[in-house]
Amino acid sequence: MNNESIRAAIRFAGLVLPLMWTSGSVAAQMQATARASSYGVSVSTATVNQKSPAAVLPAGEMMATDQASDVTVDGLVSVQDAFAIVNGDLTDGSGAVSSATLGAVNVLNGLITADGVVAMASSTVGTSDAEGSSLANLVVNGVSVDDPAPNTRLDLPGVGYVVLNEQVPTSGGITVNMIHVVLQQPVLGVLGGVTGYQTTGDIIVGSASSSVN
Amino acid sequence: MTNLRLLAGFAAVAAVSLVGWSCETNRQALAPTLGVPRFHFNEFQCQPLKMTGGGRIDYPPGTADKNDPATHEYETFGAHVITSGQFDEASGHCLADKGSLEWVDHRPEMRLNGSPLNLHATSITFADLAVDAPHCTDGAVHWGGTLRVQNTGQEDLQFEVWDCDAGEPGVGQDGFAIRVIQEIDGIGDYAVMCDPSPAEPTCTLTGGNRQFHPTH
Repeated sequence: MNNESIRAAIRFAGLVLPLMWTSGSVAAQMQATARASSYGVSVSTATVNQKSPAAVLPAGEMMATDQASDVTVDGLVSVQDAFAIVNGDLTDGSGAVSSATLGAVNVLNGLITADGVVAMASSTVGTSDAEGSSLANLVVNGVSVDDPAPNTRLDLPGVGYVVLNEQVPTSGGITVNMIHVVLQQPVLGVLGGVTGYQTTGDIIVGSASSSVN
Repeated sequence: MTNLRLLAGFAAVAAVSLVGWSCETNRQALAPTLGVPRFHFNEFQCQPLKMTGGGRIDYPPGTADKNDPATHEYETFGAHVITSGQFDEASGHCLADKGSLEWVDHRPEMRLNGSPLNLHATSITFADLAVDAPHCTDGAVHWGGTLRVQNTGQEDLQFEVWDCDAGEPGVGQDGFAIRVIQEIDGIGDYAVMCDPSPAEPTCTLTGGNRQFHPTH
């Protein structure tokens, strides 16, 4: 047995075994878990349920990627050059980063267009942010929108509304949806008047989530 | 009874000393200085470590400020490397156990076959701890391997990255740089390296985070 083997054996006996002796293992109780996921496009309606490209941080791995040169859901959305990348460490839960990037984006036959979308979410213990997220040449219903503030909501008459740069706190993390269209239809009263609106679907372009808890 | 206590005390002191000795850096694993001087990444050591995370760089110029998104002058990536710190005399580097790199360059001039330049690591071969990068307060690693250009299928290009964790948050502090050793068909020489920057030769993250983990 050489010198290094002896040192390794002593390290194991001195550092690892005491942890195993404690009830339930302190290390296991203190262990945080990192999670990360991202996707380019998600469409959810009564007739369509599609998400692509999509990456989820898998157990036992530290990275996942997916990409698609074109994603088209007829009449609802088309995007080009979509990449989803997630990276983190499930085992020690110290951090996670996810991103979704897209090129040309067209939602609802030109109602919303953009030519560069970046959704980015980053989490460490106790902190999360959406730094690095951006929208390029965004036009909503014919009007240019530059660098929208988080959770900017714009009405889309006859369609519903859109939330731009949507940032949703989650348990130990954050979800960033750069373009989130909520499809709605009016609810009519007995006299034919509009009494409210009913959500009939969602279109999300550029989504990234990360968390550590 | 007093003798027993005395014996227990000696045993405890001996155990603590032994564990302390076992945790000392293995000085035989010191790597020699590698290659030509590269800014602060010039002196290396073999040590068990991990570097994880991903992010965004707005290069050029690669500073902490984002470029106008309409210019599409930015890069996004995910990357990690793990090494147990074994020195390989043949290569002069510390052997990497595993790792990965996914790199997307969104600049219009870097499009290949109609898509953003997409580099995908096919092997990670080395990971050297940089011990002369004071800006990278949590840790700095020079690592690399081989990659494939996804746009064309060009294989086995060698690459190296400089990876810097300068604490939290990663944005505005951490850094990353990449160089492909051989020419990329249709592009030629390819490097995203910044000089000077707070953590030379790395470019400063405008999104994401790098996480250094000493694993000993």
